[in-house]
Amino acid sequence: MNCDTVRKLIPLYFYGEVTPDEEDQVDQHLHECAACAAQLEQQSALAGALDQRKLEIPLALLDECRDDLMAAIAGGAPRQVKPAKGPWALFLDAMSATFTGFGRLRQPVGAVLLILLGFAVARFTGSGPSPSPVLSDNVYPMVRDVKADNDGTVRIRFDETSHHEVAGRLEDPNIQRLILAGSRDEDAAVRVESVGLLKNRVDSPEVRDSLLNALAGDPNDGVRLKALEALKPLAGDAQVTKTLSQVLLTDANPAVRMQVIDLMVTRRDDSVVGVLQNLMQREDNNGVRLKASKVLKDWNASIGTF
Amino acid sequence: MSPQVDTLIRAAQRGDQDAFEQLVRTYDQSVLRLAMNLLRSPEDARDVYQEAFLRVYRNLHAFRFDCSFHTWLYRIVTNICLDQLRKRKVRKEETAVVETSEGAIDRMEQYEEEAAAADPERSMWNRELKQRIENALVGLTPRERMVFELRHYQGLRLRNIGEMLGTTEEAAKNCLFRATQKMRGELGDFV
Repeated sequence: MNCDTVRKLIPLYFYGEVTPDEEDQVDQHLHECAACAAQLEQQSALAGALDQRKLEIPLALLDECRDDLMAAIAGGAPRQVKPAKGPWALFLDAMSATFTGFGRLRQPVGAVLLILLGFAVARFTGSGPSPSPVLSDNVYPMVRDVKADNDGTVRIRFDETSHHEVAGRLEDPNIQRLILAGSRDEDAAVRVESVGLLKNRVDSPEVRDSLLNALAGDPNDGVRLKALEALKPLAGDAQVTKTLSQVLLTDANPAVRMQVIDLMVTRRDDSVVGVLQNLMQREDNNGVRLKASKVLKDWNASIGTF
Repeated sequence: MSPQVDTLIRAAQRGDQDAFEQLVRTYDQSVLRLAMNLLRSPEDARDVYQEAFLRVYRNLHAFRFDCSFHTWLYRIVTNICLDQLRKRKVRKEETAVVETSEGAIDRMEQYEEEAAAADPERSMWNRELKQRIENALVGLTPRERMVFELRHYQGLRLRNIGEMLGTTEEAAKNCLFRATQKMRGELGDFV
């Protein structure tokens, strides 16, 4: 290969988009030609400079997007100017202002007070509304609708969220249900902890599915690595191997891909050979490439597909 | 396609809202990142997000599993982003910089400053280099910009990128080559 050809290939070579033959020839040329090697360094420096431009997504923006989308799907008008505050909102604001520091609790506190108000009105007027529920301290009501009848009765529809703490052993089905719910929680730390605990229960199909879901779809690297660790006893299972293959070819984290290889190669399997050969065509990371090529060599399989 | 995503799609096609929401959450961070990185405007990125997933919602029944869901979704997202980039080219508006009574401000600054606080290297951000990079990116066609974005920032293979953009791997290779050449030309001795 001459310098012109190599320089045309350098961007593609840098991004791992050349054929194995081209890669060998460029490698050889770069060893012998300092000018072309400098071109590759310049390409690398350009990529480094562009990396600084990469933006992390602000979580608040992601949350807003999700809320807007779900509101639009539910038939609401997304991202409209917030309507002027009604009497209910003003009342809650007043409550919040009264109880400084209770900002996050203004809805529950307001709702509880309204319920108490309704209860008191009913008691004094002697009319017979449905009895109001007794709300304990750990219940956080989310009020959906409030109506005041002409007779002084206040009707409130609300959902409630309760805060509880339970303790039990992993064998307890209720504990398992909660851990499974934790594995899908918004909070990555809760997911890491929950997925880590699931590793002792992989014999349950529900747990296995949950781990595969976490491995294939969780945005957090720690959760995916925990899921991989938990799936170790299932190495060789067809369903697990299928998901591992997909993760190996799509996961953005080289550490995850390395561990996936470890898990996939516990025994020789022709389908795994194909996946590793496919990986060799697209893998950018040298460590992952080395690991995959070593396995293929150990298994006397060719490095590429032909 | 992973069996889990497959299951979610089929459930969402049957009208299961929770499944649709889970499906969105599986892919929405990368969609938003793509839109933010390309358009450098939180408002525009939000519009792309909303339009893309609403199109997915309305057309999911027509998804026949003849390509990966990721590819199908990205066809939608890249089309919307390309439209936005083309409109900007026509309007000669490129960056997120807007004129205010207090002078020009960059609407992305707040996000970059937040990132800088979290990452000390970002605090060393060289404004001139940043400006040169922006100039270099302005010089790309929307398609070159998209191919470069998908390969460099999103780490997708050119074969997949070609599939998403309705073109060949070879054409995507040419786009990537032209994009990097233009940027190296613009940045010159800066890198």
